[in-house]
Amino acid sequence: MTTLPAFDLDPAVSAFRREVREWLAVHWHGEREAMHNRRPFKDRGYDPEFSRLVGAKGWIGLGWPKEFGGQARSPAEQLAFIEEMEYAHAPRSHLVGETIVGPALMRHGTPEQRAKYLPAILRGEMTFALGYSEPEAGSDLASLRTRAERDGEDWVINGQKLWSTGGDKAEHVWLAVRTDRDAKPKHAGISVFIVSLRQAGITIRPSIAMYGKTFSATFYENVRVPASAMVGGVNNGWKVITDALAAERVMIGGAVAALQRSLDHLTEYVKRAEIGGRPLRENAVIRDRLGALAAEIEVARQFALRNARLVEAGHTPLYEAAMTKVFAGELQERLGEAALDILGSGGLLSEDAPSAPVGEMEQVLRHSIMGVIGGGTAEIQRNIIAIRGLGLPR
Amino acid sequence: MASEKTVISEEERTLLRDNVRGMLAEEWPIEGAVERASDAGAMNRIWQSLARQGLTKLGFDAEEGGLREILLVCEELGRASCPAPLFSAVLVNLLARQGGGAAEGLASLCDALHSGSAVAAIGFGAFDGDAAAGEVRLRDGGVSGRVAFVENAASATHFVLFVDAPAGVVVVLADAASSVAATPGLAVPALSELAFTGTNAALVEIPAARLAALAQIARLCCAAQALGAAQRGFELALEHAKTRKQFGQFIGQFQAIQHKLADCLTRLDGARLTLEASATAFDRELGDWPVIAAAALAYAGPALRQVVLESHHTMGAIGYAEEHEMPRHFRRIHADLARLGGVNRARAQLADYLLGPAAPPR
Repeated sequence: MTTLPAFDLDPAVSAFRREVREWLAVHWHGEREAMHNRRPFKDRGYDPEFSRLVGAKGWIGLGWPKEFGGQARSPAEQLAFIEEMEYAHAPRSHLVGETIVGPALMRHGTPEQRAKYLPAILRGEMTFALGYSEPEAGSDLASLRTRAERDGEDWVINGQKLWSTGGDKAEHVWLAVRTDRDAKPKHAGISVFIVSLRQAGITIRPSIAMYGKTFSATFYENVRVPASAMVGGVNNGWKVITDALAAERVMIGGAVAALQRSLDHLTEYVKRAEIGGRPLRENAVIRDRLGALAAEIEVARQFALRNARLVEAGHTPLYEAAMTKVFAGELQERLGEAALDILGSGGLLSEDAPSAPVGEMEQVLRHSIMGVIGGGTAEIQRNIIAIRGLGLPR
Repeated sequence: MASEKTVISEEERTLLRDNVRGMLAEEWPIEGAVERASDAGAMNRIWQSLARQGLTKLGFDAEEGGLREILLVCEELGRASCPAPLFSAVLVNLLARQGGGAAEGLASLCDALHSGSAVAAIGFGAFDGDAAAGEVRLRDGGVSGRVAFVENAASATHFVLFVDAPAGVVVVLADAASSVAATPGLAVPALSELAFTGTNAALVEIPAARLAALAQIARLCCAAQALGAAQRGFELALEHAKTRKQFGQFIGQFQAIQHKLADCLTRLDGARLTLEASATAFDRELGDWPVIAAAALAYAGPALRQVVLESHHTMGAIGYAEEHEMPRHFRRIHADLARLGGVNRARAQLADYLLGPAAPPR
């Protein structure tokens, strides 16, 4: 397959990339991947058994400090790992635990919480969903209303969360709740809990999101949790949440590798297809379009590499991460739309249609919206670039 | 193309940028830059200054700076709206460095460029990337033909041309043309069309692949100039958004303006990072550097042009007067990005890489 040249400037990174690729060839590609792909589409991308294999290899918590059982690998190595995993479509059921819960516990957790969760996350044995968004709290997360009230030694949680990816599959939820209704500003009254989703009082209603997998509405009715389930102290949740966001910044690069994979598949099709006896690859319009998309994927990769370099130098990419997210998200939309133009009616067909030219592309298009609106919409990201990157007045 | 591994540190690059920016601020201030661009005396003086700083030697010795540094200096020239033909000198230096040992003409031209006594203008002709760029041929030891879209022909002491040859490409070094006709338009100073009729010239033969690499470097230099101009124009628009009040508030408080400028920063950063990546790939002798370069050019073309359009929108009529600084950035950006095949050629190069050539030999 012809793909854009990816070069790592550091030989150690190239070596690690090769190691990951070779490991995936043995432990993912082949029977395990084939079995995974025989599942209904909505159940793919989630495979706790595979997570335990990755954990046993020591590749969960690559960037975690050694004192917490991680490998303290460089951001460039982490990025290379994410790229290889994403390019292989290898499932990472442990992702929320590894990139959000773990780093937050290292910073804000009690020794007991760390001992309870960190080793289990590293072994790939623990899965988390995020409990952030609510009917009245999307981009404006600080106005969330799900509340926890003190009752003796316990907290009692009531409310509703929305759009929780993996909410129907994960064992735990990383839950943001209001613990002070009168707090000003609003975000000063938020706390974070780790709650078992198997607990009495929780109702989970999955529905299918447009990309073909589930997200869930979760209802909390007098859910009783011990004080030890709270992370980072009462009303300190906003800091716990925003610190955790900083730890996921290198992860955005994974989205770019997934785009690269889709472009490669599209390119492969164009290389061998014929329309009316003429090779499709000679079509000047298609060549122009693919050339433009390839250039943009290279740019997206450079954005991801910059984030890794900044983290490596001890900085927190802020507007730079926002930029990467906007660019990669909107690029996926462009890629999906271009694929439809290139493939014509055939582009409408999914992988379930035997005659589909490149069956994944219509899913890429449906999926693209999630990258633009999820985890902070493109408009919120542009606000961050304008205010934090350019110093424009509020 | 061979090139030695670069040993320039990030600190040294910052120092280089500051030095060039400081020198240009003093000797090529924004005030009067338009007038100076068509003043032969002023152009000669800035060329002497660039030579004194050792910048006309860039490309000759990799120890003194690789493509990263070359692009950085081009970016500063673009930023200052200084049309000195530095990258023409760089290309001649690169040609000489890579084994034009037998070519005395090349060596002496290099010496003259380094001392500031020569100014080169390059006409890629048949190798331009633009089908309308003309071509020259060799007949009876002389050069004949016409080449279009040549920059800085008016101040040039030497013309560097290229002729297709059975064993590769012949580099033609002519110290005069039969005629030089300015072709006015968006580019300032105007591009020129050169005619040659049996003109005497020194000839140096090189492999065709080296010329392809050289043309790609020329495109990167143009893109770097455009990047500098786009960055400067954007900074003016940003400053304007922070100080201009309408409807009782700074226009930079409107999200319509904020998001526009946020997207401009994304385009500038994307173009810069990818240009740097291609230069780094070249300096590290990675075989695929021209592909990364094609990606940089394919992205930078539309992206930087959009940046200057949005900057103009933000500035409103204040940036629309020809006496203002903005129009010359507008001109520079478009001229530098449309030349040498522009975005279409860059995308085609990527398509060739991904899909194979459009029409394979049957």
